[in-house]
Amino acid sequence: MRWPVLARRDRVLRGGQPLAFGVGLVVALVVGVFLLVGSGHDPLRVYARMFDASLGDPRAWSVTLNRAVPLGLAGLAVAVAGSMGLWNIGAEGQIMAGAIGAAWVARIGGGWPGPVLVTAMLAAAVVGGGLLALGPAIARARIGVNEIITTLMLNEVAIRLVQWLIHGRWKDPGSHNFPLAPMLPDNGRLPTLFERAHVGVVLAGIVIALFGLAVSRTAWGYELRVAGSSGATARYAGISLKRKILTVLVLSGGVAGFAGGVELSGNADRITEGLSNGFGFAGIIVAALALMRPSGVAAVALLFGAVQIGGQSIQTMGVSSSVSTILQALILFGAIAAGVLGRYRIQMVAGETVETPSAGAES
Amino acid sequence: MTEASFIGLLEATVSFGALLYLAALGEMITEKAGILNLGVEGMMAIGAVTGFVVALQTGNPWVALVAAIAAGALIGLLHGLFTVVLGAEQVVSGLSLTILGIGLAAYIGKGSVGQPAGAELVPVDWGPLSDIPWVGPVLFQQSPLVYMAVLAGLAAWFVLGRTRLGLAVRAAGESAPTADAAGHSVAGLRLGAVATGGALAGASGAYLTLSITPQWAEGVVAGRGWIAVALVIFGAWRPGRVALGALLFGLTLALKTRLQTFGVDFSPILLSMLPYLLTVGVLVAISIRSRNRPSPAPAALGIAYRREER
Repeated sequence: MRWPVLARRDRVLRGGQPLAFGVGLVVALVVGVFLLVGSGHDPLRVYARMFDASLGDPRAWSVTLNRAVPLGLAGLAVAVAGSMGLWNIGAEGQIMAGAIGAAWVARIGGGWPGPVLVTAMLAAAVVGGGLLALGPAIARARIGVNEIITTLMLNEVAIRLVQWLIHGRWKDPGSHNFPLAPMLPDNGRLPTLFERAHVGVVLAGIVIALFGLAVSRTAWGYELRVAGSSGATARYAGISLKRKILTVLVLSGGVAGFAGGVELSGNADRITEGLSNGFGFAGIIVAALALMRPSGVAAVALLFGAVQIGGQSIQTMGVSSSVSTILQALILFGAIAAGVLGRYRIQMVAGETVETPSAGAES
Repeated sequence: MTEASFIGLLEATVSFGALLYLAALGEMITEKAGILNLGVEGMMAIGAVTGFVVALQTGNPWVALVAAIAAGALIGLLHGLFTVVLGAEQVVSGLSLTILGIGLAAYIGKGSVGQPAGAELVPVDWGPLSDIPWVGPVLFQQSPLVYMAVLAGLAAWFVLGRTRLGLAVRAAGESAPTADAAGHSVAGLRLGAVATGGALAGASGAYLTLSITPQWAEGVVAGRGWIAVALVIFGAWRPGRVALGALLFGLTLALKTRLQTFGVDFSPILLSMLPYLLTVGVLVAISIRSRNRPSPAPAALGIAYRREER
C-alpha cells in the first residue's frame, strides 16, 4: 500500500505568507460560492454587496476600521505572547475585563472632563485585562501551569462576571427590569475621526506600531524571540525566563483589555455581555495569519474587519450573517494548507506492514 | 425544598452529566493520542444542528442521531487533516474549527429556527426498574443517550486501558517516535482518535436537540464544549474520574435554573463560573504535585509528528 507523506522542499516556494493568505482568501470565497448557491443566492451579488458595505466608500471604510480595532488589538495581544511561544487564548475574557474596568471608571467619573475620563477609562481597561491575565501568568511562570487552558477557562469567568454585574449591581434602574447597564456618559466616549470612525483607530495603530518596533528592534524584543525559540539558549544568555513569561502574559492581557476599553468607549452605548463578540477568538486567527508578527496584524485585522462588516450587510438580502463567520475560518484553513504546501511537497511512499492486528485495523 | 424538586435536580444532574461526559470522553480519547482539539464547541454545534435537521426531514430520531455522529466525526477529521497530516498548530486549528462549526451550524439551521422538532429520543422504559421511587426517575427514565454515555465510558476504559489498540493510542500520545518505531501508524491512530472525538461530540450535540431542548437555536451549545475541554483536565485523563467530574459539573448546570426554587440566595451566574474556576484549581494542583511525580497529561499532547524529522 502507498501512503501520501509530506516531504520538505529543497527550496521554500516564493511569495511567503501574503501568498498563503491570498490562497486562503480564494479558497474561502470559492467554498462560499457553493454555500450561497446551495441556499439559493447569487454569489456575485452577495460578494459585491459585502465589498460595497465594507470598502466601497469612506463611510464603509470608517465602519470597517472601527471593527478592525478590536480585531487588531486582540491579534496583537495573541502575537505578543506568541512571539515568546506562549498562547494567550484568553483575549476574549480580557477584552471583557478591560471593558469592566473602563465601565467602572465611567460610573464614578461622570462629572470629569472628557479627555480625563476617557484616558482614565482606557488605563483602567489595560489594568483590567492585565489583572485577568495575571493569574495564568504567575501560574505559568512560577509552577509551569499550561497557560492555554487557564486563559481559556477565564474567558467564561469574565463573561459571567459581566452578566453578574449587569443583572445586579450595575443594572440600570430605568431599564424596566431588563438586565442592562446604564448608558455611558457622553464625556466617556472617544471623539470621532471621520464618518463613523473613532479616534481608537489611531490609538490602535500607534499601539500596534509600538509593539511591532519593540519586538523587532529592541533588546527586550530580541530576548523575547530568543526565549520563544529556545528556553535553554535564553537561560545560557542570562535571560530570566520567569520574569519574561510574567511580563509578556500580563502585557498581552493588558493589550486585550485596552481593546475592550476602546470598543466600549468608541463603539458601544453601554457594557453588555456581547461586547466582545468573539473578537478574542478571531484575534487568535488574525495573529496566526500574521505569523505572530505584530507588523502583519494590522493588515490581517483590516481584512477580517471588512469580512465581518460585509457579512453583517448581507443580512438584508436574506443571507445568514454566519457566512462571514464561515469565511473567516476558511481563510485560515486555506492559508495554513497553502503555507504547509509551500514548505513541503506531497510524496507517495510505500507503507510499512503493521505487526499488531488490533492496531492494523486502525491504520 | 420538596421531594419532587430534589428528584428533578438529581435527574437533571445525570442528564447534563451525560451530555458533558459524551463530549469530554471524546476529547479525552483525542488527547490520549496526543492531539488537543479545542473545536469541541463547534463539533457539538454541528452535531446539534445535524440531529435536528435530519429529524425534521426523516422523522426518525435514530437516523438523526447517526447522522449527527457521522457529521461530528467528519468535521473532527478536518482538525485531523490539518494537525495530523499537515502538522498545523493544534490550538489555532481547533479554535478555527469552533468558529467554523458554529458558523456552519447557524447557516445550516437558519430555516429551522423556531420549528417544532421532527422527532425526539424518548426516555427508555426499564419496566419495574423505572417505577422504583427516587432511583427510577433519576437513573431509569433517562434518554437513551445517557445509557450510551455510560457504555461509551466503559468502552473507552476497556479499550484504552486493556487492549493493544489502546496501548498503541496511548503510545502515540506519550511519544510518537516510539509508537512509530514499534510499528504503529501514528497518523492512523491519531486520525482515528480525532474522528472518535468528533463522533462523540456530535452525539453530545444531538443530545441537546433531540432530547434536552428539542428545538434549534443559534448558540444552543452555550459554552458546554468548553466545559467538556475542562473536564478532561479535571478528570486527569481517566474515564472514571472524568465521569465523576461530569456529574459534578452537571450538578452546577442543573442547579443554575433551580437555585431560586430551593430558596438559596446565591447568584446562579456566579455558580456557573464554578466549573471553570475548579478546573484552573485542579490544573494548578496537578502542576504542583507533578514536581515529584509524572503529570497525568499525555507527554506528546499538542506536538505534531513528522516522520522524516524523527
